[in-house]
Amino acid sequence: MNEERQNERDSQLSAMFDGELSAAECELLARRLTRDDGLRAQWSRYALIGAALRAERGVKLDDNVARRVQAAISQEATYGDSSSTEVAGSTRANTAAVAKPASRWMQFARPAAGASIAAGVAAVSILWLRTQGTDPALVAMGVDETAAPQPESIVLQPEPVDTQITLAASPPQAGSVLKGEPDYSTPAPSPQASFAPPARFANYVVAHSEYSGPLARRMALLGIVGSDGQADVEAPAEVDATTATAAPGAATDAH
Amino acid sequence: MRIDPRIHARRLNVARFATLSLLLGAGVVLGAEPTEWLERMNKALTTRNYVGVFTHVRGTRAETLRIIHRVRGRDVSERLLSLDGSGREFVREGDELTCYLPDKRTVLVERRAPDSALLPAMPTLGDGSELVYEIRGGERERLLGRKTRVVALHPRDEFRYGYRLWIDEETSMPLKTQLCDKSGAVIEQILFSSIDLPERIPDSMFKPLVDASNYRWLRAERQLTATNAPPALWEAMRLPPGFRMTTRSQQAMPGSKEPVAHLVFTDGVASVSVFVEPRKPDSKPTEGPTQVGSSSAFSTVVDDHQVTAIGEVPPNTVQFIAEQVKSTSKSSGQMGIAPPRRNK
Repeated sequence: MNEERQNERDSQLSAMFDGELSAAECELLARRLTRDDGLRAQWSRYALIGAALRAERGVKLDDNVARRVQAAISQEATYGDSSSTEVAGSTRANTAAVAKPASRWMQFARPAAGASIAAGVAAVSILWLRTQGTDPALVAMGVDETAAPQPESIVLQPEPVDTQITLAASPPQAGSVLKGEPDYSTPAPSPQASFAPPARFANYVVAHSEYSGPLARRMALLGIVGSDGQADVEAPAEVDATTATAAPGAATDAH
Repeated sequence: MRIDPRIHARRLNVARFATLSLLLGAGVVLGAEPTEWLERMNKALTTRNYVGVFTHVRGTRAETLRIIHRVRGRDVSERLLSLDGSGREFVREGDELTCYLPDKRTVLVERRAPDSALLPAMPTLGDGSELVYEIRGGERERLLGRKTRVVALHPRDEFRYGYRLWIDEETSMPLKTQLCDKSGAVIEQILFSSIDLPERIPDSMFKPLVDASNYRWLRAERQLTATNAPPALWEAMRLPPGFRMTTRSQQAMPGSKEPVAHLVFTDGVASVSVFVEPRKPDSKPTEGPTQVGSSSAFSTVVDDHQVTAIGEVPPNTVQFIAEQVKSTSKSSGQMGIAPPRRNK
């Protein structure tokens, strides 16, 4: 049973990263992120591996969706922890898309982090989805990505660790999430190769590179190492600042 | 009376091979030995110590990177770092591949599957590579003030890319590499601006530039859930000309609890991996082509499994292979675990 649920969540998460979930389903999944440590940890893995690949593309993010979801998540957070209401409120939501020190963002993956932090994670997930859903034509035209901060640098203020939420509530039953979602949409098949590769392809490239010839392997890895594009233009000053202000405890994840 | 087309094709191949051997033989006599230069280059790339700086050009984009490669007995260490923008680095030491992403403040650690603890099966020239690539050149050309030999691996069909290489006469290192399509158009290229071949490379050269202690470290899960039913055996029923299977194994992947079947095919130069994992019941299947740098991928669903072929080949090749993947066992529960299989 548990296993089944886990699989179902895994596949939803993976579908989200592949741009195959509707906005409504994303919202639901985002809410689950606020409660499920395992799911959150997996989310970060998907996101970061995917980031390695996707950064080579210019992306345009949809702020409205982010804000809408952010607001929804903020409400969700208040059920669990009243202390987080303030930080997860609408003011913060509006500034969610502002690039902030990424090291703080690391805290999201801590087990049992505060609900508002998780809310931030959820919002970021949605931005990822929008990244995937971007019209390739727009991307190809180099549509302004400076106005669209990179998802991984979008952060809410970190919460004190003691705002832990131990929601015992079990996640919704498998399948029930999908009910009553009229706008679940099948992504239109693209005649061209998809522009932004789904997260799982990063793993495949790395695994495959072990078996490539010396020349081909280098070419394959260059596809990941090479920043290869404008998408890496992301608030350099703020990123630099994080080195000094890395949250205590962030290093506990190292090694 | 009918001629079996397969026998006919085989005869044709034999005839082609004979013609080719003659041509290649003639080439050696004339003093042009492009194949030999390719072998020397592969040997240099895999067995020598080197530190080089190169520019990678793809389309209108260019990026400068440094590569450091060290071989000490059986230990191979390699570091590839971007000197521009992102500052990303790959460090490979033994079985561990660490990817530093300073722009994401993240470190990814991949471990080679325990099955492939030995050196992975590398594509090697020969075994019929000449049937699918026309290997020509060998003439001298001056590049960056050095004497080089220019060798072209020209694909004989649309199933693979070609390479044009400027191989340094003295060191056999490729000073310039172009990846080309069948028509000869350059897809991407690598141009070295400096290469050193030091006797020793200190460990310190493999330390990343960034202090990653405050970064988030992500490691691939390597524990697989024990399954009662051993996984099915998979294989490709037909392959594009010149391709053969070299490896078959099960391996763990981040984000997948179940073992992923991994098949490797090569034509002696290019290689294609096929990954097969059980499809998750509620997820939408991934289907169709994807491009990752110069690598192509194609995904499809076979017997409720997600099949993805990926390799540094044109999109039609991965599609061909992916669509030929079938389970060879009638009932997946009856088959034994596929041992890692390695052909020479």
